[in-house]
Amino acid sequence: MNAAAKATATTALVVRRTIAASAEEIFDAWLDPAALAIWMRPTGIRRTSAKTDARVGGGYEIIMQGDEKTYPHHGVYRVIDRPRRLVFTWISNGTEGGETLVTVDFLPAGQGTEVVVTHAQLPAGAHESHDKGWTSGLARLAEFSAGNA
Amino acid sequence: MPIFTLMGEYKSAGLDGVFNALGDPTRRAILARLQESDARVTDIAGAFPISLNSVSKHIRMLERAGLLQRSVHGRDHVLSLNAAPLAEASAWIEHYRTFWEDRLAALETYILDKKRKRK
Repeated sequence: MNAAAKATATTALVVRRTIAASAEEIFDAWLDPAALAIWMRPTGIRRTSAKTDARVGGGYEIIMQGDEKTYPHHGVYRVIDRPRRLVFTWISNGTEGGETLVTVDFLPAGQGTEVVVTHAQLPAGAHESHDKGWTSGLARLAEFSAGNA
Repeated sequence: MPIFTLMGEYKSAGLDGVFNALGDPTRRAILARLQESDARVTDIAGAFPISLNSVSKHIRMLERAGLLQRSVHGRDHVLSLNAAPLAEASAWIEHYRTFWEDRLAALETYILDKKRKRK
């Protein structure tokens, strides 16, 4: 494994899936409230409703209604580069205002598109310039977790 | 219990401190040193080319994040690693990994259903 691949592997929260569709089609499903209401509905959630203001600096809200509890999620779009990259903050009920950052990359993969989600927890009020240290922090975390398991 | 309901229970206030603490090479090096064995503050300070004062600041930050414990034996302050917050942080990571894997599977189903209906 080369160094770059290793760094990606150890940042831990990277999830990939190749979907047999165009990048445009998949990209749009991330910003369309009607689409989000369908695929942002995890097991145990009765209904999801979504609102999006799909521009950089615009906000979104995804409300997941469970049997007993409601799980609101919200954030702000940082990058909207259709159909290559989407970056938004992600704040949920239990994060007590803690801001996390989700980056979604849409890469050509044969006839389809590889969707790569990178989700990082950021210190409150962190700036872009902290991202590098943050990523290596996660890499180290993976090592420590392995060492102390 | 569906895995999703756990998400609302996560408290990130403590995790912020852990992730902040891990975002600095000196602090990571201190943790790496303590992973080998407990050490006195003076031993740690001697191992880094920075002042005792800045080493102390890093140590206090790690203490606040709950990543290390200090016990006082006479004049010696002995530091030991506390891995519990790291386990909590890695639980956060595993949790969201599962969340996104499931969401991407649902996204694929949504996209493919939509394509089928168009045909």
